Amino acid sequence: MTRIEVSRSGGFAGLSRTWSVEVSPAEAEERWLPLLEQAEAENAETLQRDRFIYHIVVVGYRDATVPESAVQGPWKELLERARNAPPEEPAEELPDEPAEEPGGHT
Amino acid sequence: MNAPVHTRCSIVPPYLLSRLAGLEDPRHHNAAAAARRALVQLDPIHSARATAPRDPSRGAGTAVVLALRRTISDAYGTETLPGEAVRREGDPPVGDVAVDEAYDGLGATYGLFQEVYGRSSIDDAGLPLDATVHYGQRYDNAFWDGFRMVFGDGDGEIFGRFTASLTVIGHELAHGFTQYTSNLRYQGQSGALNESVSDVFGVLVEQRVRGESADTAGWLVGEGIFTDQVQGRALRSLKAPGTAHDDDVLGKDPQPATMADYVETTSDNGGVHINSGIPNHAFYIAATRLGGYAWERAGQIWYDAATGGNVPEDCTFSRFADVTVDAAKARFGEGSPEVEAVGYAWREVDVL
Repeated sequence: MTRIEVSRSGGFAGLSRTWSVEVSPAEAEERWLPLLEQAEAENAETLQRDRFIYHIVVVGYRDATVPESAVQGPWKELLERARNAPPEEPAEELPDEPAEEPGGHT
Repeated sequence: MNAPVHTRCSIVPPYLLSRLAGLEDPRHHNAAAAARRALVQLDPIHSARATAPRDPSRGAGTAVVLALRRTISDAYGTETLPGEAVRREGDPPVGDVAVDEAYDGLGATYGLFQEVYGRSSIDDAGLPLDATVHYGQRYDNAFWDGFRMVFGDGDGEIFGRFTASLTVIGHELAHGFTQYTSNLRYQGQSGALNESVSDVFGVLVEQRVRGESADTAGWLVGEGIFTDQVQGRALRSLKAPGTAHDDDVLGKDPQPATMADYVETTSDNGGVHINSGIPNHAFYIAATRLGGYAWERAGQIWYDAATGGNVPEDCTFSRFADVTVDAAKARFGEGSPEVEAVGYAWREVDVL
């Protein structure tokens, strides 16, 4: 399985939260990696203040930063899935550093 | 043409007069006219504004006052903006607590800028103030979108509604103030200054409404927006950054108070909601060293600094500190207690 981690920072509160979801390697390759590739163009500066910022990592492959205002369609689906996925056993307290390799824990 | 006027020795505050003067409903014609005349008597600035054209297409002779004009809209749990307008300027309370808190909070924030600093709305040109409440589902945030304030209801587990703290409303509206003045870039130190300006004016709005002096105020941002299940009083503290909350789920308040603990990070636009603790604490130190009402002298200095044209968009903490010291000198004079207090504050947080 391929792990996708979603870290949310910013917002009025400035409190960071992290969620993650496991997807099949085929799904990661077909749906989510192409989405992350196109995210680079979506990071223009805006007048918006106190909005959330999402940092999304397809662990072992690629990451992208997406402002809340761009979270629509497939992004929204991905974030909801991560948020609703059952929490992992180890606490996901890691700050937004690259995480361990996929399937690494017991 | 000459309705009875009893407003010459008015106890009605100028912002309320401005509001009355802006009423367009024919039923309030006399009150509006009287208020306009009272404003003309108040001072030349109001007088000039009272005779400025509101809308050229209305033709000559239409008296105009730049007044408080609020519109609160309801998104009804959607993420569609602006939502439906549910309370406009002068309307009575609607009974929806978020709507009414937003309405009152916008009025209190407008009042600080208008009555204390003489600023007509956040753009100093009478910009109408718009807010949307009940945004999204279980939405844990409040934000400024460049045009309006937007408030979520919270998830009910960690956060309740974001309008519950006046400091949040003042904070969001102050983002608009910054947008129209220094336009501090929302990244790194300039972004943390942008956040700090919002926290500073957010707490000043609340202190003024409560009549709290610098030494009796709580200096908390977001007090009352947590549910009872959270271990913490507020989101941030200007008095003691890093101590506002310490909770299993939320973690500990990550704000530093001095440059020694400045946080380098790529998240949160470079820690804009974290490192704002440093300029926040400098403001607190300056205000408490001066004593009295914080919005009067320390607040005036910060206001002068923000509006004086000397804060670049990519301002650093040290540059901002210099601008506040210069602003204190310009308003209170070299060697004044105000200049001393501001310099002392920035040295205490290791910025100067």
